[in-house]
Amino acid sequence: MRETFTKGMARNIYYGGGVFFLLVLIGLTVDTVRSLPKTDNSENITEEVAAGKRLWEVNNCIGCHTLLGEGAYFAPELGNVYTRFGESTEAIKAFIKSRPVEGIPGRRSMPQFNLTDQQLEEIAQFLKYVDGIKTARDWPPNIQG
Amino acid sequence: MKYESQGIAKLYFIAAIGLFVGQIVFGVVMGLQYVMGDFLFPEIPFNVARMVHTNLLIVWLLFGFMGSAYFLVPEESERELYSPMLAKVMFWIFLIAGALTVLGYLLVPYARLAEITMNDLLPTMGREFLEQPTITKIGIVIVALAFVFNIGMTILTGRKTVITLVLLTGLIGLAVFFLFSFYNPDNLVLDKYFWWFVVHLWVEGVWELIMASLLAYVLIKVTGVDREVIEKWLYIIIAMALISGLVGTGHHFFWIGTPDYWQWLGSIFSALEPIPFFMMTMFAFTVVKKRRRDHPNKAAVLWALGTAVMAFLGAGVWGFLHTLAPVNYYTHGTQITAAHGHMAFYGAYVMVVLTVISYSMPIMRGKIAANETAQKIEIWSFWLMTLSMVVITIFLTVAGFVQTYLQRYSDEPQSFMAVQEQLTTYYWMREIAGVFFLIGLLLYIYSFFAKGKEVEAVE
Amino acid sequence: MNTTDKQLKRAFHAALMSLLNLTVLPIIGFIVLLLLYKKTAANTIDRYHAALGIKLNLLAAIALILVSLLILAVGGFNSPMSWIYMVSYFVTVHAAFILIATWAVVCSLAGDKLKNNDEP
Repeated sequence: MRETFTKGMARNIYYGGGVFFLLVLIGLTVDTVRSLPKTDNSENITEEVAAGKRLWEVNNCIGCHTLLGEGAYFAPELGNVYTRFGESTEAIKAFIKSRPVEGIPGRRSMPQFNLTDQQLEEIAQFLKYVDGIKTARDWPPNIQG
Repeated sequence: MKYESQGIAKLYFIAAIGLFVGQIVFGVVMGLQYVMGDFLFPEIPFNVARMVHTNLLIVWLLFGFMGSAYFLVPEESERELYSPMLAKVMFWIFLIAGALTVLGYLLVPYARLAEITMNDLLPTMGREFLEQPTITKIGIVIVALAFVFNIGMTILTGRKTVITLVLLTGLIGLAVFFLFSFYNPDNLVLDKYFWWFVVHLWVEGVWELIMASLLAYVLIKVTGVDREVIEKWLYIIIAMALISGLVGTGHHFFWIGTPDYWQWLGSIFSALEPIPFFMMTMFAFTVVKKRRRDHPNKAAVLWALGTAVMAFLGAGVWGFLHTLAPVNYYTHGTQITAAHGHMAFYGAYVMVVLTVISYSMPIMRGKIAANETAQKIEIWSFWLMTLSMVVITIFLTVAGFVQTYLQRYSDEPQSFMAVQEQLTTYYWMREIAGVFFLIGLLLYIYSFFAKGKEVEAVE
Repeated sequence: MNTTDKQLKRAFHAALMSLLNLTVLPIIGFIVLLLLYKKTAANTIDRYHAALGIKLNLLAAIALILVSLLILAVGGFNSPMSWIYMVSYFVTVHAAFILIATWAVVCSLAGDKLKNNDEP
């Protein structure tokens, strides 16, 4: 390390660089949040969809699945499951409803959550809403998620 | 040990290691569930084992950071800890709250836990790594604030060093960014955007400040290299961490419904994120080479060097592999992510905590270093855990490549489950490596009890 | 033989070029390394590091280019599995070479040769 580059200079780069890029991040955040309505499908967030999101959370679906690629890698991506199931909320509800309580022997098993018909509808609406979010390059690359 | 209150770290470190064992036990369970899908189903479904595994990791690392701070801050600040009583009380509150939370995950269906803990009043449950009930989260905030207050008062009324100030900045950042975990909007894109303000700005942000300052502290102690030199390095490293990592957050904003410009900004800035880790490697190697003393604690020196190398490989190299948007488009949410995550967390954060424990435990027990036999066993455990983690990562990487090709890239993509079936062999190898990791960890614990020839301090 | 400052500097440059050749300046780094070697005298620290850098990078070229191509040739250029193995191999071995070259840079800064173990 040359003597011309002092500790003081390093400290200033840290302070200056840190503050500068924090401000950049804040600025980009403001811009992103402002632009979201173009892509985030928020116009379709009904009370049913919001309830569905809550169900998604309290049943910890993210603990096995990914949603828009984020989550656990044990079970399939569900961001596009609405499309993958032929744009059918009924198909989604049927799948969740039909999970055996004791699981499928030898295979990765999904719990039976004993959701009411109302709750099943809410979760399906939530997943339909997620499918409608306009992701860049229409991620995921294909129907399999 | 120069100051009596440094000894509080011992409590924190014992809890940390205990929780670490719990974390790995559940890790091994999950690894088995990957290949024997209904193992422990329905009593402990995969998602429950996972939240126990990840939450224990985070909590034990926090215990580790706190213990490290309690050990080094009094010595650096040249005064006793502001309030040892507060530190002890907070220890028990954190431990009990943590234990109750994990028991909650295991004993009660998650939806029921949400009901019992009144999640509906302020719903924050059900997101990855943030599965804790809202009341636990509030508890974490209180513990964190008390901790930052205690450490902060000690630092600010004592001798201020670059190490303690960087550590304090990191810890304050940790507490502040955790507050984003309380923001859970109905809008999924907003939800995800700000979720990363906790996760990324923690592990690719303020936690790097914590890690760098802890590493710098141990390196000063074991090499005797001039503080001025080490402090300059520290500033450069954390400067690069923030310059790359702040806008680098954008590598999580590629595919979640955020504007396209993030593909450019996220790729370019996050491509720079390996730089601070590379510098930490250079830094660690350089100061060890230039050392003025041969510290009797060889194990601590090895942990320090190992931390820098594994962090560079796991966080830097493996991170770089999938950080560019054109690559990430295909690999997003695959086993590549898991491979990177494991080696990065182990290399950067697990190892830095183990480095501090390795250095400080003997001192808190009244010796400069552990006896020769204990160190030998500890060094064995270092290699066993580290090489096991490398093997885990390599097999998950290969699994990830196969998965990416078959499920994402191929012209005839196969379904998720069909692809997983074809990865079974890699998952078995990963599991075997995981078992060896656990053995390494048990060996590590044993090293604290092994008897042997004591080492003398040499100047 | 007394090591001059110039030799120490050259040793560092050689080690650095070796590392840069493995990372961001392939070929160019190697050419500069060769030029540096020519300036060195026998039995000096700068010759040692220049020679080390050349040997390391030749080995890396074989390991990373030749062996990778071999893996593909044996497994089949069209087979995704052989690409997967090749890339996994490349990443791991490349990282290993970078670590060795980094250690060499550190040693050159201290005016030392590569050592296996530090003094007990």
